[in-house]
Amino acid sequence: MTVLLEARGISKSFGGVRAVRDICLAIPEKSIFALIGPNGAGKSTLLNLLSGIYQPDAGELSFGGEDLIGLPAHRRVRLGIARTFQKIRLFKQLTVLENVLAGFHIHHEIPAWQYVVPGAAAGRDRSRCRAEAEELLAFVGLAARAGERAGALPYGQQRMLEIARSLATRPRLFMLDEPAAGLNGAEVAFLLQRLEDIGRRDITVVVVEHNMDLVMNVAHRVFVMDYGEHLFEGTPREVQANPRVIEAYLGGEFQ
Amino acid sequence: MKLRIAVAMLMIAAAPLLLQTPYWRGILIVCAMNVLLALSLNLVLGYTGQLNLGQAAFFAIGAYVSTILTKTYGWNFWLAVPAAIAAAGVLGLALAAFAVRLRGHYLAIASLGFAVITYQVLINWERVTEGVRGIYGIPPPPGFRDQLALFYLVAGIALVVYLVLGNLVRSPIGETLRAIREDEVSAASLGINAARWKAFAFGVGAAIAGLAGCFYPGFVGTLVPEAFNIVESFTMMAMVIVGGMGTMIGPVIGAVVLTFLPELLRSVGELRLLVYGVALTLVVLFMPGGLVQIGAALRRGPA
Repeated sequence: MTVLLEARGISKSFGGVRAVRDICLAIPEKSIFALIGPNGAGKSTLLNLLSGIYQPDAGELSFGGEDLIGLPAHRRVRLGIARTFQKIRLFKQLTVLENVLAGFHIHHEIPAWQYVVPGAAAGRDRSRCRAEAEELLAFVGLAARAGERAGALPYGQQRMLEIARSLATRPRLFMLDEPAAGLNGAEVAFLLQRLEDIGRRDITVVVVEHNMDLVMNVAHRVFVMDYGEHLFEGTPREVQANPRVIEAYLGGEFQ
Repeated sequence: MKLRIAVAMLMIAAAPLLLQTPYWRGILIVCAMNVLLALSLNLVLGYTGQLNLGQAAFFAIGAYVSTILTKTYGWNFWLAVPAAIAAAGVLGLALAAFAVRLRGHYLAIASLGFAVITYQVLINWERVTEGVRGIYGIPPPPGFRDQLALFYLVAGIALVVYLVLGNLVRSPIGETLRAIREDEVSAASLGINAARWKAFAFGVGAAIAGLAGCFYPGFVGTLVPEAFNIVESFTMMAMVIVGGMGTMIGPVIGAVVLTFLPELLRSVGELRLLVYGVALTLVVLFMPGGLVQIGAALRRGPA
């Protein structure tokens, strides 16, 4: 088992709030890794540190052997790190298809200026991206809505579109921040299926999630945070049985 | 597409036949320059979503660089044009280098500051710009001495710029720019270097405004800083917004309407400013998508 992403002692404070404290984690390649914890545990902050939206105050961070510290978010995408957002951030005025096409930004085969005087190469690149985008839309169940404005989609489909858009960057590591939030039962079941499919494509998946059904069904390993700190790590079964995890979640109510 | 280009060429060819007096032909030339300026600002404001209030400065830089090179240094006009475009483009990139970290109000103020500084430099750097006295006796571009030829030249350039920018915004670059307009954090999560592409839009927009600037001095015959007052930046912005920002044809319509409307309103004297202002307000209030909204509504059919 090789480690794809490794964090050693990373911390991040906002003013006086220590949102993430001395976290060490190793995400194994080709696994589905869940990050859970009560609200305010620092999960999203940790994800923002891994994806490069924030830089840590201290600690080391490496991805496939490359040092990530100081590397801005857009550069990490080129290494193969993709993510979705807790609060959906689509390009609302663009169509569904255009949202996914924008995701191919780092994968165009010809230099940008060649698009201004369109020739055969630009045409080929365009149709290749379009075909790939349509495949991704079919994968998330949005093939029929390609021409619609992204902001006009129902909530659940907006979440799926964000997933398709991120997959267009062809990630090795795909991080999803609460993908099941606001989804109904059928949508959660579809999402779960898709996360497993993504996992089978040899993409390493990190999922921050509150929906325990989803976490317990899909995750190989679960990392539990509380108050910005590491609380426990193990298989879903171990996590469910761990008294400290239960206490953090339920405030000791069941003891 | 080919049909549209043919229609555009026909309209450009026919316009001077309908408007034959020197006065109206002059307005036509101004109109073609305004189309170029509106197109240039639309790339930055409409497609990339950057509130740039300093576009008049690049128009001024194009005008002054081309004029000074030809008048003071004796350059051939057609060599001065690329130099003026490059000067405006480079200064656009320089402004972008400072401004790309800023958004919204802050960028607006920084770009406005740039326009104010440029205006002050034009007034005070008298050794080169002649200051408020202005530069006189500037000839039209060689080979385009009469108004008709100059109109066809500027309108033809505007059409070419329109087609090239059209290709640009329909290409993956267009998706990248619009992605930045919609959500920069999201764009970064797709590997887009927002700072770099915003600078690209600023640079190209500035270069096109500089190109427009090359034809202004020869048309008017004189060059004074007052022509590049801050108000000019707002006029360009009004053209883009009234026509429909973030669409290709919108700013063209906006430029044509806002060039001719004040002329048509001359009969009502000073009241024209009031009518102009009210018309602007009404469009912004009731057609936030600009005049192109009318076309889109007609295509959808009656509601």
